[in-house]
Amino acid sequence: MSGHHPSAPIAGQVRHIENLLEQRGVIAPGEIDHRIDALLAGGSPLNGARIVARAWTDPAFRDRLLADANTAIRELELSMGGGEELRLKVIANGPGEHHVVVCTLCSCYPTTLLGPSPTWYKSDAYRARVVRDPRGVLGDFDLELPADTRITVWDASAESRYMVLPRRPEGTDALTETELAALVTRNGLIGTALV
Amino acid sequence: MREAFNPGDRVRTTTFDPPGHTRLPRYARGAVGEIVERAGNHPRAEDRARGLPGEPQPVYHVRFRASDLFGSGDHTVTVELWQDYLEPLTNHDGNAAP
Amino acid sequence: MGVSRINDVGGMEGFLAVVEEPDEPPFHADWEAHLHAMNALLIRQGVYNRDEFRDALERMAPAVYLTASYYERWYCAITTLLVEKGVLTAAEVAGNGHGAADA
Repeated sequence: MSGHHPSAPIAGQVRHIENLLEQRGVIAPGEIDHRIDALLAGGSPLNGARIVARAWTDPAFRDRLLADANTAIRELELSMGGGEELRLKVIANGPGEHHVVVCTLCSCYPTTLLGPSPTWYKSDAYRARVVRDPRGVLGDFDLELPADTRITVWDASAESRYMVLPRRPEGTDALTETELAALVTRNGLIGTALV
Repeated sequence: MREAFNPGDRVRTTTFDPPGHTRLPRYARGAVGEIVERAGNHPRAEDRARGLPGEPQPVYHVRFRASDLFGSGDHTVTVELWQDYLEPLTNHDGNAAP
Repeated sequence: MGVSRINDVGGMEGFLAVVEEPDEPPFHADWEAHLHAMNALLIRQGVYNRDEFRDALERMAPAVYLTASYYERWYCAITTLLVEKGVLTAAEVAGNGHGAADA
């Protein structure tokens, strides 16, 4: 599975289904475009980075975030999305402790908060291997953890969605919250990078 | 349905392999783990996958040692499981292989 | 152990290294974004629920599942459910994928 299939036939098939659904009144014209716009405007790793930077600079917020992330992120005017809100669980890395997230059965991910997940996260190779050999998979990302670091893999198998709170890098005391947020990557929020 | 388990409780997952949709991964079947945290109440995925509303039941984060799941590895794997998948583990068979 | 479906890959041996695509965009083609939105709307509208969607993905033939891209799997699951729920017929789904009559 390469993840690259910009093939014309399936694009036409999708358009065909979409037209039929609009003709039947199942989906209103323009609704799909609105939904795409909302997804791309609302979900982004930048949201996760803001949450992390706030947790690094405000210990009380960090406590609230780890206890009840859905409520805490509203302080940053973020949410897990309308309708049936999924539970967000934030897991903090610590000294000698590293967390990494996967969904082995499908591809669960906090999409409304962080945007669509990367293709590697959805790949069979990642889903198959990371629960059994996390160090090997982290090696694919050039991340080598000390041998005594305890690794926990979180399999998103039910109704919670996970985000990792990375450790604040050394030597960042002088940085502002905005500058700290710029250090945080999407992989850091999944656990395949340190930050 | 009431919560039957508390954080710290040792549990064994069912070996039942249902014919349809399930959210108990194969690698975690028949395995011994520890309840880490409650994760709310939700209708069983097995019911919802058949279009049924399903009665909400407790869900837990359950932590397993990789060595218990795969025979090797020094990490742990935390899986989120419905109460139906779990049975209490009494101390006398705590170390029994699944 | 039994009859697990092809989606249940956790712990399975034989897969290659995980390869990351640098600067990956949210979607690689418009049709992927359209499928993503279509699925969300069909679930919101109650045509089917999330677990029925997962179930439809899992019922794919293993060989097809493993060789399909992520969103090709979605196309398969969505159209399976639209037919099973009586929203469209199989003939309508297959009817015209090339845009001649409905362009």
